[in-house]
Amino acid sequence: MKAQRCRGWGLMLAVALLLGTAGPAPAAEKLLEIGVLGPLSGGAASYGVELVRGAEMRADEINKAGGLKVGADVYKIKLITYDHKASAADAATAANKLVFQDKVKFIIGNAVGATCNAVQTVTEPQKIMFAFVCWGTKNLGQDKPYSFRSMLSQWEAAEPFYRWIKEKRPTIKKVAIISPNDTSGLDTNTAVVKAAKGLGFDVVAEETYERGTKDFYPILTKMLAKKPDMLDVAAAPPGEAGLIVKQAVELGFKGAKGWTAGSNPATLVSIAGVEAAEGVWSPVNINVKSDFVDAKVRKFGEEYEKRYKEVAGVIAVANYGAFDVFTKAMQEAGSIETEKVLAALTSRPYETVWGRLLIGGKETYGIDRQFLYPMVISEVRGGKNVDLEQVLPGALKALKK
Amino acid sequence: MPIELLIQALLNGFALALVYVLVALGLTLIFSILEIINFAHGEFYMLGGYATYFAFAVFGLPYVPTLGLAIVAVGLGGMVAERLIFRSLRGKALNAFIVSLGLLWVLQSAAQLSFGVLDKSVPRAFSGIIRAGGIIISVERFVVMLAAAGLIAVLYLFLQWSRVGRAMRAVAQDADGAALQGVNIEFISMLGFAIGCALAGAAGGLLAPVFAVSPAMGALPVVKAFIIIIVGGMGSLPGAVLGGLLLGTVEGIGALFFGSAAVNILGFLMVILVLLVRPRGLFGVA
Repeated sequence: MKAQRCRGWGLMLAVALLLGTAGPAPAAEKLLEIGVLGPLSGGAASYGVELVRGAEMRADEINKAGGLKVGADVYKIKLITYDHKASAADAATAANKLVFQDKVKFIIGNAVGATCNAVQTVTEPQKIMFAFVCWGTKNLGQDKPYSFRSMLSQWEAAEPFYRWIKEKRPTIKKVAIISPNDTSGLDTNTAVVKAAKGLGFDVVAEETYERGTKDFYPILTKMLAKKPDMLDVAAAPPGEAGLIVKQAVELGFKGAKGWTAGSNPATLVSIAGVEAAEGVWSPVNINVKSDFVDAKVRKFGEEYEKRYKEVAGVIAVANYGAFDVFTKAMQEAGSIETEKVLAALTSRPYETVWGRLLIGGKETYGIDRQFLYPMVISEVRGGKNVDLEQVLPGALKALKK
Repeated sequence: MPIELLIQALLNGFALALVYVLVALGLTLIFSILEIINFAHGEFYMLGGYATYFAFAVFGLPYVPTLGLAIVAVGLGGMVAERLIFRSLRGKALNAFIVSLGLLWVLQSAAQLSFGVLDKSVPRAFSGIIRAGGIIISVERFVVMLAAAGLIAVLYLFLQWSRVGRAMRAVAQDADGAALQGVNIEFISMLGFAIGCALAGAAGGLLAPVFAVSPAMGALPVVKAFIIIIVGGMGSLPGAVLGGLLLGTVEGIGALFFGSAAVNILGFLMVILVLLVRPRGLFGVA
């Protein structure tokens, strides 16, 4: 009897202690899974690697700061990554996995236009928010309200770029353009040809090649026979752009070199060699160490290089910025429901890694879904990328005033 | 159209065609002796490229010894692959097809995990340009062309005049008959596979400074090798050389008149035509 009473008191004491030490019930930490797609192998792998790294950096920052607070909930961010090898079929498969198997509501990161078309057949009907750097013209439109492009495309870059060339190098009259033979490449060629012809340039050659091509002598022989003053490697990814430039110089080309879609000149230089890469102009890449970019880009560049031991390219910055904008919109909406997040994403300026960013593009795509930020035209000199001039896309010019 | 442009186009096609002939010869040698098609052949090309990258670009060895090292290393790798994987599949085409596909993915994935997915640049081994009239070729491509031609010649002499080469031809013609004559089939199979892979490794080593290296670099050369073998005839060295030159002509001239995208189509159209008209290939044995 005495033993039973002791056990009873002991049990009551234990319960009291438990109740005493238990504070208010903690908010359950929720998981927000976000998809990242990209070509993580093959000729366009540099795009995919940068997309993943940009997303990783922002996700890790948010998680280290305690998570993403949306309304009353706090979310830990987890990335789910798939490699689509720049193939539309594989991209559709990966998108299906992300949406129906992994149940993500946000895909932040994709490259290569044809793959974006494929992914959007899955994301748009399911109202999945999708941010990408793909350059297909039809990747944005009124029929695709949940899709956003986070990097300047050929439609924003080509005209200011060719206008700059016309002002600074008036001796350049004849231009030859080459891009991969897919959605991004064909659309880039279309935009570049339109911009160049509109400014009075003579487009003497417009060619495409299959992604993965290594030997460009046959196609370059045909292009260089037209004696262009400038060769624009347009939408070629860094590795292939480097090979084209190298082989053009081997074939005796001594004219100017442009790269409308140039995203990572460091890779082009490593493949082409310092001598062949000399003088390559590119309008959309970002030198993360330059004084022409916002201080936040420089800080991002330092952190990126510390972590990955490589210099960050524009695609990494773009996807980091996309992550930033989408998560801010979630917080403004107080929800991760995509319809509410979409409603919160407006055309007002956002303060991001780019500095001031606007979501515009209605005059080109019929809907404001294009991230707009200052672009910097740069030139490769002595193996290094040197910034020459900052240029504002149209809508940002009005904002700066 | 200026004649120099046509000659330049032909030279463009021929310059690298001989390197793809090396890949094709390796493939056809393996088929002749083991009666299997090695779909992982392109990955031995890739390994030759990476061996060159590490020895030449990273460790700074001179290029010619590097190439020799790549050839020997990949050849040894082929020897191991034959002993561990393909020996028991001799004559079993379907099984070998599936196994070699598996080996392809294993090697490519291993390369991605070990070396990363991005292209790695290999410094130029030879610099300078050769100009003759309006025709241009880089010294690098000219040396590659000569080296490939030299290796093809060495292979031909080896197969024709050496005791081991004659044994290989005997096994390719009739393995049972060769065994009855005292030829060690297992040794010849291993050596044949090793030499076949070494040829692919040599091609990878020759083209590494020209194109850079990446885990998926073996895909295109092996497709070209198949086209060359089908056109030239499986098992025929002269057929492979002719097939390679034909492919080079089609690609060089085709790009000039029809553009880059059409070049791939022309290569496969040539294959279809040969299969319809002369299925054994130009020099193949019925």
